[in-house]
Amino acid sequence: MAAAAAARGLRALPHIGPSAARPLHTTPACLKTRAARVRVGKGDKLVTYEQAHPPHYIGHRKGWLSLHTGNLCGEGGAAERAVEDAFLRRFLAGTFPGVLVDAVVLRRRANLLVVSTLLGRALPPTKLHFLGGYAETLLSHFYKCPVRLELQTLPARVPYKYL
Amino acid sequence: MAAWRVRGGSWQRVVWLSRRCCSPGGRREGCRYSSSSTALGKTVDNSEVTQEEIVLPRKKTWDKLAVLQTLASTVKRDPTAAHYMFYDDPFLMPRNAATSRLFALSKESGRNAAKYIIKHFPQYFDKTLADPNVLCLMPETLTPQIEGLSEEALKERIHLRKVKDSVNLFDQLLQAGTPVSLETTNSLLDLLCFYGDQESTLEKEEEEEKEDLEEPEVNASEQKAPRRRFQRGSQLSDSGWRENNNAERIFKIMPERNAHSYCTMIRGMVKHRAPAKAYDMYIDLLNERHKADVHTFNALIGAVPYLKERFFERWELAKVFLNHMVQQEVQPNLLTFNALLKTLRRCGGVGRSMSLLVVKEMEALDIEPSLATYDHLLYIFYRGADLGQSNIISEVLDDVEKRSFSPQDPDDANFFATAMQVCCDLKDIKLAYQLNKAMEKGDNWKFLDVDRLNAYWSKFFSLLCMMEQIDVVLKWYKEMSPSLFYPTPKNILDLLQALDAANHLEVIPSVWEDVKQLGFNKRQDLLEEVLSLMSREQHPEEIQLAFAKCAEDIKAVHEPSGREVPLQWTGSALGRVALLFSRAGRTQDAWNMMERFQQINRIPTDQVMDGFLNCAKQTNCPDEAIKLVKLAAALSLPSAARLKSRTEKEFELSEKQKKTLESIKSDGDSSDSDSESSDSDSDRD
Repeated sequence: MAAAAAARGLRALPHIGPSAARPLHTTPACLKTRAARVRVGKGDKLVTYEQAHPPHYIGHRKGWLSLHTGNLCGEGGAAERAVEDAFLRRFLAGTFPGVLVDAVVLRRRANLLVVSTLLGRALPPTKLHFLGGYAETLLSHFYKCPVRLELQTLPARVPYKYL
Repeated sequence: MAAWRVRGGSWQRVVWLSRRCCSPGGRREGCRYSSSSTALGKTVDNSEVTQEEIVLPRKKTWDKLAVLQTLASTVKRDPTAAHYMFYDDPFLMPRNAATSRLFALSKESGRNAAKYIIKHFPQYFDKTLADPNVLCLMPETLTPQIEGLSEEALKERIHLRKVKDSVNLFDQLLQAGTPVSLETTNSLLDLLCFYGDQESTLEKEEEEEKEDLEEPEVNASEQKAPRRRFQRGSQLSDSGWRENNNAERIFKIMPERNAHSYCTMIRGMVKHRAPAKAYDMYIDLLNERHKADVHTFNALIGAVPYLKERFFERWELAKVFLNHMVQQEVQPNLLTFNALLKTLRRCGGVGRSMSLLVVKEMEALDIEPSLATYDHLLYIFYRGADLGQSNIISEVLDDVEKRSFSPQDPDDANFFATAMQVCCDLKDIKLAYQLNKAMEKGDNWKFLDVDRLNAYWSKFFSLLCMMEQIDVVLKWYKEMSPSLFYPTPKNILDLLQALDAANHLEVIPSVWEDVKQLGFNKRQDLLEEVLSLMSREQHPEEIQLAFAKCAEDIKAVHEPSGREVPLQWTGSALGRVALLFSRAGRTQDAWNMMERFQQINRIPTDQVMDGFLNCAKQTNCPDEAIKLVKLAAALSLPSAARLKSRTEKEFELSEKQKKTLESIKSDGDSSDSDSESSDSDSDRD
């Protein structure tokens, strides 16, 4: 929009010379064809089901990673939910470093925030309980709503393909 | 039917009126149109206007949790799930009592870590995102707001429980000459007596941090540091009521004291283990002609066992206090009687005779006994030296199973454990069932926390194994473990004995699976018991195979694997494992076991040798038989000759094998014959 207006503004200038005005491209680069896609490599890169499917398969072969009612007609708060989700994913990646196997699924049910994580078995169960209790309490106090953490452990990352 | 035809015209109106009656009540029963009921309103035929008022029932108000409670009542307990506080994942589920306690504590310490961060960085957590605001999720403000020397500042510090700061402020106020009111001084005394002149736990944490930061400092901090380290771990960390501590000092310099001051001091002294001083303070209170309140009397009655030694004197002193209560017109409450019974616990025979009178007094005063009362009663009657002939337990259980209790005394929590212990001592299973029913009634289950729950069910299971039929035992076992309680090793031993008594030894492999899951597969006593039961007699084929699999697991425990130190073989264990392998027809495995006897310097029993020989015969391995005879000869067993003759008779041996067999015997005799020949040679020479 701003670029179009600027371009129009420039065209409205008196004609100075042959092609003296050059329009500026001011939108940020939005590489839609490269988003959330794992590029094909040598064949040794382990790729999970979640990672292997590009975003146009959401709703067809993939589910959503974050479930809330903010995007329904007449509901508000979608932007706040998006910011909360971003913070939660970074927080969990930092609290369980190297142990998270797949992306975290966030579900909001009324006031409750249910965080479903898939963890590897690198840490002993006592430490996982410690981190779980810590994360639940801290997030509850931070967002002023009950937060329930559901941990599920796997022996290793489950490969879907090797790319 | 006739009535309906009579009122044909008013049919519509009757239906409408009856519908109006039905809907507010919400009742779904069909409206009855009999002519006898006049509550349904007017009829056209009836000329008299009946002023019937339609009685709308009152609106029912439901509890906030009613829907959840109803939903919860439709779901039964899942016998395979662990406690709700653990995550539902096989890696994260606790396997036995020790790990369940460990995981619960680690989760709690994670919560404490989060609370620490919230306390120290409140600026990140004070945005009010929720509307209405959730107060319990906001950070607490624990720093005093009011500064300066004033009584308000002192009151605020007392409210925030800062012991040292409030004492300092009080001293500063006195030095400045400002009089502090009696109420504020009393509340300061309350604070000091409650904490016993130590800091509250929050203050202690902060002081410890400061101490750690200032480690390389003056000698004073060095002297304090070891004391702090000792205090950090233990909860009962207070060193008692020190002589002339802050509370006493402030008490002495108070210009005027009222009854409350004396009472607080008495209660503080009793709490922090200075009962003699408390008694002196009480005498002072009487001299000043003040009246003590009921809490003070409770504390004093509770301190009686520390004031007097002999049973009779204790009871007399308690009676003195009770008489004073009557004189000062102080109404006793439940805690008074509980304190009295607690004192009677330590009064031996006097206790037994007096406790029932105490309970009757309670009933006369219309005070409902709490679980602590019953706990003290059971202790008095059943835990003394002689198991009394009284029948009080059944009366107690009859009372307890009628009502749902709420916590009123800190000692309430011990009731169920004590009662179950009494049932076990009396070996009465019906009482135990009654106690179980009492526990499930209403809110009574809340008195058992995770530790006590485990102990309670563990004792109950032991009693079951002793007294009940095996199928009942197995039913309870499947239902209760591992969701309600984790069996202790003693429980497993009791279960094995019950199986043995009922001759149900084929269940042992599944019990062994549970033992492996519980992590008890390295305990010598359990292993010995399992092996002896399995190897005692011959069993049908498939059971024998299952036993052999268990034996293989037991063998794996003794092998070095990974980082764990392997268990040492004992002679009996090795022999039994070999026997089990041989009975299942696994000759090679059995021979591997036999070879180890020499390594551990033990001798196999005759039963083992015979069993191995039988196995070799069944699987037709004469080589193994010969190897066995060689081993017997090498270990110089008395049964070697017998084994050799058996081998010769029962096996079809080739020529080579017969020769080897002969040579073994001659090896055994050759030394004798050599010595004989050498003797005879020497004789000849």
